[in-house]
Amino acid sequence: MTAHVWGAGSTDFGRQTERLPAELAWEAVTEALLDADVDRIDAAFVGTVFGSFGLGQRALVGAGLAGVPVVTVENACASGSTAMHEAKAAIESGRYEHVLVLGVEHLTSLFKGPIASDATDTEQATGLLFPGIYAMTASRYLYDHHLEPEDLAHVAVKNSAHGALNPRAQRGRALTLEEIMGSRMIASPLTLFQCAGLSDAAAAVVLGPHRRSPRDVAIRASELGAGGPWDHASPHVWGHDLVSRTARSAYDAAGVEPADADVVELHDAFTIGEIVTLEALGLAGDGEAPAAVEAGEHSLGGATPVNPSGGLLSRGHPLGATGVAQVVELTTHLRGEAGARQVEGARVGLLETMGGGAAGVDGNACVVAVFEGG
Amino acid sequence: MTLGLMPAAEPRPVVEDAPEGPVLSGVRCRACEHPVAVRVPRCPRCSGETESASFGPDGVLWSTTTFYVSSGEREAPYTLGYVDLDHGPRLLAHVDDGPELEPAVAERVRLTGRTPVGDPLVELVR
Repeated sequence: MTAHVWGAGSTDFGRQTERLPAELAWEAVTEALLDADVDRIDAAFVGTVFGSFGLGQRALVGAGLAGVPVVTVENACASGSTAMHEAKAAIESGRYEHVLVLGVEHLTSLFKGPIASDATDTEQATGLLFPGIYAMTASRYLYDHHLEPEDLAHVAVKNSAHGALNPRAQRGRALTLEEIMGSRMIASPLTLFQCAGLSDAAAAVVLGPHRRSPRDVAIRASELGAGGPWDHASPHVWGHDLVSRTARSAYDAAGVEPADADVVELHDAFTIGEIVTLEALGLAGDGEAPAAVEAGEHSLGGATPVNPSGGLLSRGHPLGATGVAQVVELTTHLRGEAGARQVEGARVGLLETMGGGAAGVDGNACVVAVFEGG
Repeated sequence: MTLGLMPAAEPRPVVEDAPEGPVLSGVRCRACEHPVAVRVPRCPRCSGETESASFGPDGVLWSTTTFYVSSGEREAPYTLGYVDLDHGPRLLAHVDDGPELEPAVAERVRLTGRTPVGDPLVELVR
């Protein structure tokens, strides 16, 4: 039995300080339920990183789903996609039939500046907030491949152009290379527009077994990995090996290769994140991702469009909601319903989300999943 | 409500004064000799038992970044580096005078102690 996406929904992405986290969830869940055309839900898997006590239950009771068992998942930036991964397994094992996956986060009520992990985490305790972790990767990557900072910024040019086609995107405007490089330096070499902003949003999908609906999207494979040790003995920058290993498992499980992907949603919390991930997924050779992005290979209309939603950089990165938002985006493309940003003829979709923050671990969690339209 | 209290334990690697100067007090695996910056009971690489070991003070910048956003008691700009200590582990440390000196990846550094807020501190060896 293969789990399918039956319905998808989300809120807008951005600063929504006047709305409660549960309100965001109600909107996304209601849209997903209507889209799925279901009369009951058996269980809910909720992804949230900083979501407060009982957020999943409050979200469900207000959406008319009181009494549905809830499992809440924290797996850093991969929380939402881990919730999807577990929901898929619950369906395929026969434990549940109709499962809601909800991702929700309200970052503007928690942070004013860069996001920190946990006060007992070595990196945060030493003053290395999230942009710094990726900046460390960026500095090393540029050194290893003899590149310049603006070679990374083309990712933000591309994803902002995509985001301008997404009415729900947080940064709904195409940015120039000059604007991106000229924006405020956050953690060298990463400037402000190379970092995802604080975002409040919810996204939801309803999963179920195969049914006779041409709009349903099959989840061909989903793999969840956790990082091994990351230290002086590691051959690559932080997170690379975790993504690479998880992707290989997902490709094998789905019977596909990277070149089979028609549309990709991947984890670009920072420009360097997309660069490293393109290479770890096998979509670009070692050190070749910046040139491929600049050449348009991963733009809409290119060989393999990546982050047509605008990605985390432009659609927005409400941590726990991000993985579910990626599922929503891929579902929309595989149904042929993505409008101005539709990847024409998309049949196979690839999802990757990776989260964590060093502390000796090569990523807390990574989910790579392969989707196929009907 | 939460009290916002922290455990008394220190999450940062321990930098101590030794006769030869500041050193990182970490552990080394008894089985595979892999060095680790924090005092973990088991080796992250082979699961072997660990024992106390000191590392430093010399090393090389594996990577570096200068932060332009303040964090807690640290005023921006400040510079951090992942330092691969010679024959030792990777250590996250602040780089003294980093914003002015603009350290580069692969530069040599030396452990000099801790910053006023207790972060491991290195200086560039130029």
